[in-house]
Amino acid sequence: MDLVDSYVKAVAKALPEGQRDDIIGELSEDIRSEMEDKQQELGRPLTEEEQEGLLRQRGNPLLLAARYRQDQKSVAFGRQIIGPVLFPFYVKVLSFNLGLTFLVVAIIFTALAVSGQKVGFNDILSTCLLQLFIQLSVVTLIFALVERHLTKHPDRWHVKGMGGKFRLDLNIERDIQLGIGSNFREVSRFESLSIIVACAVAIGWMTAVQNFPILILGPAAAFLKLAPIWYQIYFPIAALTALEIVRAIINLVRPDWVRFRSYYGVFVQAAGLVIVYFLIKAGHWVEAANSGASGAVNFASTVEIINQVFLYALVGTAVFSGVMILIRVMRLVRQSHGHNGPAGVGARAKEGN
Amino acid sequence: MTSYTVSHTVCSVHYMTPGTDNHELFENLRLELRRGSLVLAVLAALRKEHYGYTLRKTLSERGMAIDEGTLYPLLRRLESHGLLVSEWREEDKRNKRFYKLSADGKEMLKQLLTEWQGINSSLNGML
Repeated sequence: MDLVDSYVKAVAKALPEGQRDDIIGELSEDIRSEMEDKQQELGRPLTEEEQEGLLRQRGNPLLLAARYRQDQKSVAFGRQIIGPVLFPFYVKVLSFNLGLTFLVVAIIFTALAVSGQKVGFNDILSTCLLQLFIQLSVVTLIFALVERHLTKHPDRWHVKGMGGKFRLDLNIERDIQLGIGSNFREVSRFESLSIIVACAVAIGWMTAVQNFPILILGPAAAFLKLAPIWYQIYFPIAALTALEIVRAIINLVRPDWVRFRSYYGVFVQAAGLVIVYFLIKAGHWVEAANSGASGAVNFASTVEIINQVFLYALVGTAVFSGVMILIRVMRLVRQSHGHNGPAGVGARAKEGN
Repeated sequence: MTSYTVSHTVCSVHYMTPGTDNHELFENLRLELRRGSLVLAVLAALRKEHYGYTLRKTLSERGMAIDEGTLYPLLRRLESHGLLVSEWREEDKRNKRFYKLSADGKEMLKQLLTEWQGINSSLNGML
């Protein structure tokens, strides 16, 4: 993939889907025409640095894409917090998070209702509002920080390191969970910063859940509690997340350590799979909060339904992690066969790495 | 009075009052002034068929340089208003999107030019 394709793909990611192909076709044509003109003027092909220079003149792909958007929505409290450039990504991340959260809440309440427990409208409403408040605050805070960064440093982006996956696409969750992006010649500092913030928030949330299970169980925390396995795996998960922060800090200082991130990605995915294995092995993930016999009997079927859902989710996660490890390993093997450059950790990554 | 005289006048006013804030203000006012003129320039240039890059070059050669991040969204907007028509065609073994004025666009350009000339003569009378 050449630099032009790389740049154009980075723009495409932030474009409205309906107009994407059209805009990209035109933009790509414009860039190539300009490069041809320049080549004719110089009487020789452009060097990579010259091509990069021309692309940099066009500006940050995210900002360029935003100019094609007709909906210039933003979030503002007095002054603008999230501008039109990031707004579509903000809505996407928020919708995903809220969708997932409400799905969990719906499962818990359905399980309660099916098992004959009384579910009040107020309980549902207060749980939903609490989750809405938490998600809205955290996601808005992260995006506000990113917006601040983007406003202060609109020129901080890499042409070489994009590989069609410009690192300001802000799909933070996807980046953390899937770790996509080993195809870069440099790890974007913006991505590293985002990961540090997101992982710090994740550790804070996990720690809070330990003491306040209501954050995840809602009002069901009055009669349900997390099984001991969650407390046992808290430290491994927290340690893994903390290691991810360390990795991001290292890549912040050395963005050229691309392979280090790739190898680390395999390690994290494998460690995650081990944790999922122990979780599945535990057999149950919530239990009745009241340890007395009557409590256990009253909520037995609720607990059973929720545990069943957990089992399906964990098995799904295990399969997904297994596939991801396979993909990552295959990619690493392909890269080490396809490139003659230094392959070790810390080696300067070559093009297409 | 041309767009040059207008921007030159604003420029002179600007340099009378020093300071960074004034420079920023001047930039904002200059951009505002240009924005309206660009639509007219693009419509006028598209009396003849062009694809994006040649249109950009033509405008630049005539002293109305415009970056692609402004031009292409503007072309889209004008097309969505029915003032331009476009078609993808192959030229030099590459697919290019050619634009030209539609019948409505020609009519609009005529009206806008009349308006522009009216503004120019009014300003000339004032300055």
